[in-house]
Amino acid sequence: MPYHLPQDKPVSLRERLYLTEAIRGLRILTGHFLRNFFFTRETNPDILARSRKLSLNATLAYPEEKVPYPPGYRGLHRLVPREDGKPRCVACYMCATACPAQCIYIEAGELEGDPIEKYPTQFVIDELRCVVCGFCVEACPKDAIRMDTGEHAPPTYQRSQQIWDMKRLLRGTPVSYQYDPWLRRGASSIPEDKLAEMRANARPFHTVATDEYAQTPGFSVKALAAEARARVEAKK
Amino acid sequence: MNRFFGMMVVVAGIVVGLFCASWAFYQVAGLGARAAVALGGPPEYGVAVANLVTLMLVGLMIGAALLTIGERKWSAMMQDRIGPNRIKVFGMSLGGIPFLLADALKMLTKENVELGQRSRVLFELAPAISFMPAFALFAVVPVGPETTVFGYRVSLQVVSLDAGLLYLFGIASLAVYGTALAGWASNNKLALLGGVRAASQMIGYEVSLGLALVGAMMAYQTLRLEEMVVGQGQLLWNFLPALGVIVNPVGMLIFFASAFAETKRAPFDLPEGESEIVGYFVEYAGMKFGMMMLSEFIEIVVLAAVVSTIFLGGWHPILFEGWLKEHLQPVPFAALCAATLLLKTFALCWMQLAVRWTLPRFRYDQIQQLCWKMLLPTALANVFITAACVLLDPSLHLLAVVGIIEIIVLAVLTFVGTGATAPEPEAHAHAAAAHAHPGH
Repeated sequence: MPYHLPQDKPVSLRERLYLTEAIRGLRILTGHFLRNFFFTRETNPDILARSRKLSLNATLAYPEEKVPYPPGYRGLHRLVPREDGKPRCVACYMCATACPAQCIYIEAGELEGDPIEKYPTQFVIDELRCVVCGFCVEACPKDAIRMDTGEHAPPTYQRSQQIWDMKRLLRGTPVSYQYDPWLRRGASSIPEDKLAEMRANARPFHTVATDEYAQTPGFSVKALAAEARARVEAKK
Repeated sequence: MNRFFGMMVVVAGIVVGLFCASWAFYQVAGLGARAAVALGGPPEYGVAVANLVTLMLVGLMIGAALLTIGERKWSAMMQDRIGPNRIKVFGMSLGGIPFLLADALKMLTKENVELGQRSRVLFELAPAISFMPAFALFAVVPVGPETTVFGYRVSLQVVSLDAGLLYLFGIASLAVYGTALAGWASNNKLALLGGVRAASQMIGYEVSLGLALVGAMMAYQTLRLEEMVVGQGQLLWNFLPALGVIVNPVGMLIFFASAFAETKRAPFDLPEGESEIVGYFVEYAGMKFGMMMLSEFIEIVVLAAVVSTIFLGGWHPILFEGWLKEHLQPVPFAALCAATLLLKTFALCWMQLAVRWTLPRFRYDQIQQLCWKMLLPTALANVFITAACVLLDPSLHLLAVVGIIEIIVLAVLTFVGTGATAPEPEAHAHAAAAHAHPGH
């Protein structure tokens, strides 16, 4: 050796023999092998919660099994529909103005016989340009655009397929609020009985973006807050 | 639970499959003898050719090819992963075996890179030279006992040589030429470095490889592998078979370790050294590289077969052997014996892969130290002790006593009192928890 290599001194005869340690390592490996060979892999996406009694396999077979995104995950946009299937969007251009990537394109149209209301004839989002900042959701005064789908833009072979128009964006459960102008003033485009149904279903005033309606399905900030409050109460 | 029963079926299927395969091998060998007689030659030639085809071309090649998949799948199971499962046949991944076809297709259809600066003849020759000795080693391994098929004496051994073990050493040392030539002919400094490393490592380990077997030679008083197997069938004190692992455990460990170094796989993969130099085959593409890689796997199978022949009792089923011999027809009994050897080989192949995934790789000076400072002196001491025991008691009883003592010492060192160092971090954790508790 032309240069000095510091060798860590093994502590015991056992480690100095090396062979015994190798055999012990082999024993551990054999145990893992046999358990994973003979027993079914668990598919619980929460890997840490998996039972490790039989199989020790810790893999998630990705495209078939997925970990759900955490609450508050900003996923693919959607346009929130009303009960009559039209978008809640009133084509105010707030989201397009707020968008730093300028990926939203809106064309407004007038409603027949309605001097105030507008609606989008086109609402296009270029998901390739989108930087997923969520400003559009914050800017929207009508809770008409959300990023609560819990999925990301699916991969495509063509760029044109990443440009999402209103037909693809408009999905999910319909939402109505009591302050909605078309509910308060009535709208010529909605039949009377439908309007009555929407008024009956309407939710109270919508205040914050972290409202449970604006979150991943199955997750509720309110419920979590209530739980935390209950815990504090219980401790007292 | 479904998987549990399925895997039981798979294991049983492997055992039954090996039995059927060895039965078929015997039948083919008998047919070979008959064909040779029909052609006017001695029946032994027909048996040898039939064994060459069945054992080496079919058995060895399929085994080595499946081992490439086995390495990926088994390593996955050892590391709590799934392993290759993306190629599916009717929705089933079949344990990753279809990947064999995909790999072969990839290897065969890759571009054949022609280097400008290579020495052409040697470069093209090197994969074949490294492939050949690994392959030829299997010729002397006695897979099954001698029996009578179609009226001819037939045994599952390609060639029975007087100098069986010497042939083994000779051919095994030829393997270094392929790697050294591949490194040299590539005209690449990293490949050359790999070739030189391979040469020095293999020459070193050949010494301990040879010395490890001297004990077995002296104990069984022969160089022929089939006679060694027969010698292992004798019973000591009327119940203990004189297996190499009992008579000569140190020899087995040294041979196994040296055989590992001969296969040039981790933890002895310095010639390849994929994390530093890419190795002696860095300039090879496609099937030429494939042959280098396959020769490693063939070496695994062959060395596993040699270890189980010399040290694990060869084709002796050991358990219920007398009962089986009485109650079975001679040909099924022989097939059962051959299947036993194949099963032992299979288990040792698994063992070699398990070792490869247990141990981290050595530094180069550690490899040389292990060889010259540990294995070689131990092998020499083993030779002297074995010689003394055989001299005092040629019936192997004294040797077996010494061997059993060695095994017990090793087992005690390995498993007794190992709890002393291991739970230390846990104890710390408990202490920390105890400290944290009062303040809570």
